[in-house]
Amino acid sequence: MTGYEPSLPFDDSRHLAAHRFLVEEAAILDFGDWARWLDLLTDDVRYVMPVRVTTVRDTGYDTRADMAHFDEDRYALEKRVQRLLTDHAWTEDPRSRTRHLVTNVRCFPGEDGDDGAAGTVRAESSLLLFRSRGDTRDAEYVCALRRDVLRPGSDGYQLARRHITVEESVLRTQNLAVFL
Amino acid sequence: MTDASAIVASIREGMIPAYVYSDPDVFELERERLFGSAWVFVAHESEVPSPGDYVVRRVLDDSFIVVRDEGGVVRVHFNMCLHRGMQVCRAEVGNASHFRCPYHGWSYRNDGRLAGLPFHQDAYGGDDGLPRAEHRLLPAPRVEAIDGLLFVSLAADGPTLREHVGDFVHYLGCYTHQSDAGLEVRGPQRWRVRANWKIGSENFVGDMYHTPQTHRSVVDIGLFREPKAHKRKEGILYFAGAGGGTTYKLPPGDFTERMRYVGYPDDMIERARAAWTPAQVAMVGDDGFMVSAATLFPNLSFVHNWPQVDRDGTVVPFISLRQWQPVSPTETEVLSWFAVDRQAPDAFKRESYRAYLMCFGSSGMFEQDDVENWVSITQVSRGTMARRLRLNSRMGLTSANEAINQQVPGFSGPGAARVGYSEFNQRDWLTMWSSHLAGGPVERVHPLGPRQ
Repeated sequence: MTGYEPSLPFDDSRHLAAHRFLVEEAAILDFGDWARWLDLLTDDVRYVMPVRVTTVRDTGYDTRADMAHFDEDRYALEKRVQRLLTDHAWTEDPRSRTRHLVTNVRCFPGEDGDDGAAGTVRAESSLLLFRSRGDTRDAEYVCALRRDVLRPGSDGYQLARRHITVEESVLRTQNLAVFL
Repeated sequence: MTDASAIVASIREGMIPAYVYSDPDVFELERERLFGSAWVFVAHESEVPSPGDYVVRRVLDDSFIVVRDEGGVVRVHFNMCLHRGMQVCRAEVGNASHFRCPYHGWSYRNDGRLAGLPFHQDAYGGDDGLPRAEHRLLPAPRVEAIDGLLFVSLAADGPTLREHVGDFVHYLGCYTHQSDAGLEVRGPQRWRVRANWKIGSENFVGDMYHTPQTHRSVVDIGLFREPKAHKRKEGILYFAGAGGGTTYKLPPGDFTERMRYVGYPDDMIERARAAWTPAQVAMVGDDGFMVSAATLFPNLSFVHNWPQVDRDGTVVPFISLRQWQPVSPTETEVLSWFAVDRQAPDAFKRESYRAYLMCFGSSGMFEQDDVENWVSITQVSRGTMARRLRLNSRMGLTSANEAINQQVPGFSGPGAARVGYSEFNQRDWLTMWSSHLAGGPVERVHPLGPRQ
């Protein structure tokens, strides 16, 4: 866990652009427009969601260093999208009804160790994913902190890194056939 | 109350009463007569490599601390303070020399012995009222290991783990003993699914028939090395001792060529050749069958698969262990570990881990569609109509109960082995399960001892 760091003012143009990126991305995911979502990612994107564990306070870690739910490069994410776009991805046919609720957006200039002169922004957001399937099952929720690195591309920001800290050590969703 | 003998009789006919996938009375019988005595997996020794390392695992509602003590012995303690019953360990992983109860402060060494308690003299008159040396956390009645896999039995008596596993050990070793160094495991990923625990065990024990349908999307996108899902029917299904599983038929070649086909580098192939028995080597090299999914009764399953992990079509195999931990009649916690031979090159471990994440586990593209099926089955099995339905699990049998799939002559492995789609394995697994429920002797379809 990193310590507290003050964020950019909410009227800073970088914050406004990053916030818009995250909200637009959420809309694209909830529309199920996964091919468009891939366009938001850099070629060297890294998309990681470590397994969270319950540990005593002085242990020094609360995620597993060597095991994740997602640890993806562009190839792996493309395969996941390709699969969802087939006619045989049964777990998403019928589709889940999802809502990506993105809030508590805080932005910081630059990647770790650089001053942001290249226009890179780190964006931190809280995510609550609501997922409803069928007519009799209980809805499923995934709550997480996302730490993103956004890089300026030819058409606005692109997602270069996403680190997802999920709040549950035992997920209560039948699978992760969804993007967070 | 459940008529277990009726379930046994129905399963003998290859017909499964649908309600067993959600019935609370069946679940209570499973708790008492199956999980009350069966060998249940709790951890792999590589999860607790150093003194003090622990993980906390459950057998249904019983919480156990699996800990390596200061002398290097792995112990399994019931996670309940002897005084007022508080859990003495509330983390799931860590390292500790002692476990101290947060309620009144009784503390236990990691070997389970009571080390101290507050006001021992004032409150108990010292060792006279409460002799410390005679108190220790309740140990799991029996703990045994095979290839580093630790199992507990809640019964003081019964078959040893080796006797339980029986000839399945031949197939188990293909996953767990690829070199004399054995496995290292990472994880587990844990998630809860609204499905009965048996469905996963049954699927992995022998359901080759679901692959072309359930996993069609994974074949469509070229993730899977095998381009045609119907190749699945060329594999053999085997059942030996307390486990059964599926295999793929590999293209022609010798042991080295076939191990290379699924993506093993040459140094791993040589270590496997040295570590495996002649029968294990022959099963791949001469017979051409490679292990895929398997289940060791009751609820530990294995996966071995070899997807293409990049645009160049590089094929990399991976191994996963998974446990179907019952939570309730209609809910299961899945624990899924990535496993790899300890002596594998680092680059192989990295790529094999990526292959695992893409295919299996909480986000795996194969597993996603499996769970969708299992949740749906569980949900619809709860109603009145499901009580009238017996599910047809007779694949591989004629109406006169003759086997359509003959046993393979000359096959190198033990037990019964048949080529093609059938449900002999599911019936074998269900026969063991139902005989536990009936409380009688556990029927073993393929008893101990090698096949001639």
